[in-house]
Amino acid sequence: MSPAEAPQAGRTGRARILAATGLAILAAALALFGVVLPAEHRFDPLGTGKALGLLALSQERPIAAQEREYRTDTSELVLLPDEWVEYKYGLEQGASMLFSWQATATVSYDFHSQPEGAAGRFAESFEARDADHAYGSYTAPFLGIHGWYWQNKTADTVTLRLDTAGFYTSAVEFRDRVSGQHTLTDLRGEKIANP
Amino acid sequence: MGLERSREFRTDRDRVPLAAALVAVAFLAFLALPWVAHAHPMDGRNAGFVEAVSGAAPFPFLYLGAKHMVTGYDHLLFLVGVVFFLRRFRDVVLYVSLFTVGHSITLLAGVLGGLRANPYLIDAVIGFSVAYKGFENIGGFERVLGVRPDTRIAVLLFGLFHGFGLATKLQEFTVVKTGLVANILSFNAGVEVGQGIALTAVVLALRGWRSRTSFDRYAFATNTLLITAGFLLAGHQLFGYLVYP
Repeated sequence: MSPAEAPQAGRTGRARILAATGLAILAAALALFGVVLPAEHRFDPLGTGKALGLLALSQERPIAAQEREYRTDTSELVLLPDEWVEYKYGLEQGASMLFSWQATATVSYDFHSQPEGAAGRFAESFEARDADHAYGSYTAPFLGIHGWYWQNKTADTVTLRLDTAGFYTSAVEFRDRVSGQHTLTDLRGEKIANP
Repeated sequence: MGLERSREFRTDRDRVPLAAALVAVAFLAFLALPWVAHAHPMDGRNAGFVEAVSGAAPFPFLYLGAKHMVTGYDHLLFLVGVVFFLRRFRDVVLYVSLFTVGHSITLLAGVLGGLRANPYLIDAVIGFSVAYKGFENIGGFERVLGVRPDTRIAVLLFGLFHGFGLATKLQEFTVVKTGLVANILSFNAGVEVGQGIALTAVVLALRGWRSRTSFDRYAFATNTLLITAGFLLAGHQLFGYLVYP
């Protein structure tokens, strides 16, 4: 026996080892089929998951009901050389939107959010890069205004088209020394004034 | 069978408190939580980071590697099984080195060579490795099967599997190849850090427990629980393999 070989527990008989191993396999199987699989994968062959209420643990919830009304918004933004613009939506915590924007040339952008009531110009940035388009979805992690900063770093005028749909309550465009509310569109295609 | 106690561990005999037993209980309690069933949590935010990262990020990957080991209870249970009866410090070092060599090889080769395996199967093997070590610890191979597999080779082999598991996990999330080598090396170093932390806790706990009479009384039962946990982990992963191909 090499010195590294581990000494075994006591002097145990074959029968006891076999019994213990059998017990271990049985206990593992009971825990697996009785508790773990129902709780994790909604696979409930023994009915214990239903009896113990474990099935609720792994109920998938791909649907999230939204509090606010559905709105859409389309904007065409023109950026002169070196000009920047910010376009933000008012979203409550958990409210989501789909977005798609395309520009005629690569722009620098930063998607960020400012919590309502946050001090000064505090904002949390979620994505910053150079691109000429981006498509995606966004769910607001907190109440506030959420959206893009785009900057045209080219020597030519760039036109950017933004389409969104979601459960926002307002849309605001900010530029150097100017800002203005945008009008949103409701489910029937009618224009809705910002609150 | 020599149950000699080496000098290194003898001196502390009366100093190590009940914390030992508590740590062991905590491990088992952790296992009993049915909803903590994914052995390798790479939660949403961490995964998002790994997906978005571009270039070398040594400290985040060091942290992720360490976190993976400290929170990966299949790794922890395997460590408990491996060092359970190791009384000599140099044996602990030998076994852990073998394990480290094993998983470093496959982690690096796996990611750099783009080798992947089904993560459920790898995790199932890791579960079986826990059961294997528990079965060996209760004398199953020797007394029931009449064989004496070399534990060192087994530990090295399981180290290779564990590393392959790490490689597969990491590749699931890595999309950007910039700084990949640096990040893998950082992750591997983090795995060693995490293993060092986990191992220190496990060795201290077992050392404290071993000096009490309850160790001899419950060593067999504890290793039976290891077998149970190993089969439970393996079964869970095999289910995942069958259901989510």
